[in-house]
Amino acid sequence: MKHLKSLNKKAQLINKAVSPEEVEDVVAMQTVVGCTATTDPGWELDPFGGLGSLCQPMESDLYGCADACWWPAQVPDTMNTYPEWGDGVAKADKDWRKLDGIFEDAE
Amino acid sequence: MALSNNNSKRAALGTGLLALAGLVSTPVLAQDAQQIIRDRCLACHTETGSAEAPSFSRISEQRKTPEGWLMTINRMTHLRGLELTREEKRALVKHLADTQGLAPEETEGYRYLLEQDTNLVENSIDQGLAETCGRCHSEARFALQRRTEQEWKYLVDFHMGQFPTTELHSLARDRQWYQIASNDTAADLGKRFPLITQEWNNWQKASKSDLMGRWRVTGFVPGKGEFDAWMTAAKTSEGHYDVTLEGLYADGTALNGEGKATVYTGYEWRASLTIDGVKMRQVMAADKQGNSLEGRMFVAAEREIGGELSAVRDQGKAAVVAVQPSYLRAGEPAELTLIGQNLKGDINLGEGVVVEKVLSRADDRITVLAKATGNEGLRTVRVGQAASESALAVYSELARVDVTPANAVTRIGGAGGNLPKVRASYRAVGYSAGADGKPGTEDDLRLGYMPASWSIKPADEVAAHDKDDKYAGSFNAAGIFTPGDAGLNPERKMSANNVGRLTVVATVADGSTQVEGEGSMLVAVQDFVRRVLD
Repeated sequence: MKHLKSLNKKAQLINKAVSPEEVEDVVAMQTVVGCTATTDPGWELDPFGGLGSLCQPMESDLYGCADACWWPAQVPDTMNTYPEWGDGVAKADKDWRKLDGIFEDAE
Repeated sequence: MALSNNNSKRAALGTGLLALAGLVSTPVLAQDAQQIIRDRCLACHTETGSAEAPSFSRISEQRKTPEGWLMTINRMTHLRGLELTREEKRALVKHLADTQGLAPEETEGYRYLLEQDTNLVENSIDQGLAETCGRCHSEARFALQRRTEQEWKYLVDFHMGQFPTTELHSLARDRQWYQIASNDTAADLGKRFPLITQEWNNWQKASKSDLMGRWRVTGFVPGKGEFDAWMTAAKTSEGHYDVTLEGLYADGTALNGEGKATVYTGYEWRASLTIDGVKMRQVMAADKQGNSLEGRMFVAAEREIGGELSAVRDQGKAAVVAVQPSYLRAGEPAELTLIGQNLKGDINLGEGVVVEKVLSRADDRITVLAKATGNEGLRTVRVGQAASESALAVYSELARVDVTPANAVTRIGGAGGNLPKVRASYRAVGYSAGADGKPGTEDDLRLGYMPASWSIKPADEVAAHDKDDKYAGSFNAAGIFTPGDAGLNPERKMSANNVGRLTVVATVADGSTQVEGEGSMLVAVQDFVRRVLD
C-alpha cells in the first residue's frame, strides 16, 4: 500500500483502517448481536467500521441487495423467503414508509 | 399463513413472544402433543419407534429452548404450509421444550439472547463458526441448539436452498463455502453442540421444583429506576401460573402488575405482565433448587428497553437480598435501603459503617441514614441472623465510570414508517481505584450503578464532519437514547439517513468533582427482520 496514493475518500478510509486500533474497533462493532458482518457492502457498517462506504441513503439501492438476499437476517430476501416484500414500493426512496418489517410469530 | 398482511405484521411487534408467556391454562399431556405432531406434521415428517416412545424424523433429532422451538414452528408455518391453531402451537412449544429442551448448564453463557439483552459483543466461540454462522446471526442462536451432526448438515443445506447467495458473500466466496460448511462446520457443531449430552440426561432425571409461591423481587426498569417488589405465582395448571407484582421504585412510586407465567423445561420462567399499563416480559432461569430466579424484564413492544431482574423465594427465613444503592462514600451520610424478607433484629452494615438513624422499618424493607468511616472495601450487611456478603461498597473517591452497554446499536425509525425507532437504555457503573490507586486495573472496586447525566459526541473525524451528533438522535435524562427519524434527510450529504457513529458520555458527580465514562454507539438503519431470537 505504501507505493499507492489514495485519491478519494473511500481509498483514504482503506488506508486509515489498516491501523490495529481501528481494526479492533471495527471487529467490535460488527459483532454486536443483531448486526451483520457481511460488509461488501455492509448493512449497518462498512468494512472499515464507518458509514462512509455504505449505500446511503439505504433506500437508494435497497432492492439491489434485498433481491440478492445479501443480508437475509436484516433485510427480507425477496429471492425466496419474502418475494412480495417490496410490492407496491417500486421506489423505496419515495415510498419507504410503506415498507414493512417482518416481526416473527404473528399469531 | 403468518405474516401475510400488513396489519398482522405490525400487530405482531407487541405480541412476538406472547405465546411463551403462559396463556395456556389446561395441562398438555405428552400424548396430546404427540398426536398434534401426528395430525399436523406427518405429511412431511415420518414416525418410527413405538407408540409409547415415538420418534419423529428431524424433530426428534434436535433440542432447543422454548424460543428456538417457537421459531421452528413459525418457519414451518411460513415456509412449509404448516397449519396449527393457537392452542396447538402453544402446546407443541411447551411439550418440545419440556422433552427436548436444554439443560440449565447448556444455556450458560448464552442467556443474553433469551433475555433479549443484545447490546453486547459476543465472545467468539471460534473463528470458523463466527465466519460461517456468526456473520449473519448471533452466535448464541446456534449455541442454544443441540443437534446430531446429520441435523447440522441439514441446516447448512436449508441455508443453501433458502439463501442461495450465501456462498457469494464475503467470508464465503473466497473459499469452498458449501464444502466447508457441510463437512467441517457441521461436524464441529455436532461435537460442540451434540444432541445427546450428560447434562441433558441428568436434567431429565433431576427432580424439578414447582415455582409456585411468594418471591422477593429486585430489578430495574429504564426510565423508572430500581425497584423492589413481592411477586406471587399461583399455580393454575402444571407449569402455568397467575402472577402478581407489587412494590416500590426507589423514588417511592408504587409499582403494580399482574399477568401469567409458564415454566418450560423445569426452570425456564417466561412471564407476560402488565405493569402500570405497560406490557412487560420476564425471562428468568430458576436455580436447581427452585429457590431463586435470575434474568431480565423488558418492555414487550421494545425488547431493548429492560433491566436486570432477580427473585428470591420466601421460605419463611430471614434474608437480605439487596442494598440500594450499593455504595456509600466515606464521610458523607446517605440513605440506604435494605431489601429483604423476614428482617428482624439488629442492623449491622459492616466495619466502620454507622447507622445514624433508622428512617423506616418493615420486615421486608429498612431505610437508614448511614455514614462510613475506615478503609475502602466491600461490607457484609446483616439484619439479625440474615447476612448478605459484599452487599455494600464503601469508597473514598470515584475513579472510573463504565458505560453499559459499552457497545450498542440503535436504529432509526418512525417518521410515518412502519418500523419504530430502536432505542437503547444506558446505565453508569462506578468504580474506585482499589489498592493500587490506579483506575482501570483489576483491583478496581465495583461500587454499583450510579446516577449520571448523558450526552453524545461524534465518534471520530468523519462523524464530526458529517454532524452525526446533530442528526442521529439524543438522550433523555433517564439515560434512554432515542435515534433520529427514518427516511432520507435532504439536509445531509446525498440525502443520507440519520445514521451515525457516536461516543456516549456518562458524567457522574462525586463530591465536588465529576468523572466521565464513554461507550460506543452505532445509529444504524432499520432491521427489517426481527426474529424471536436474532
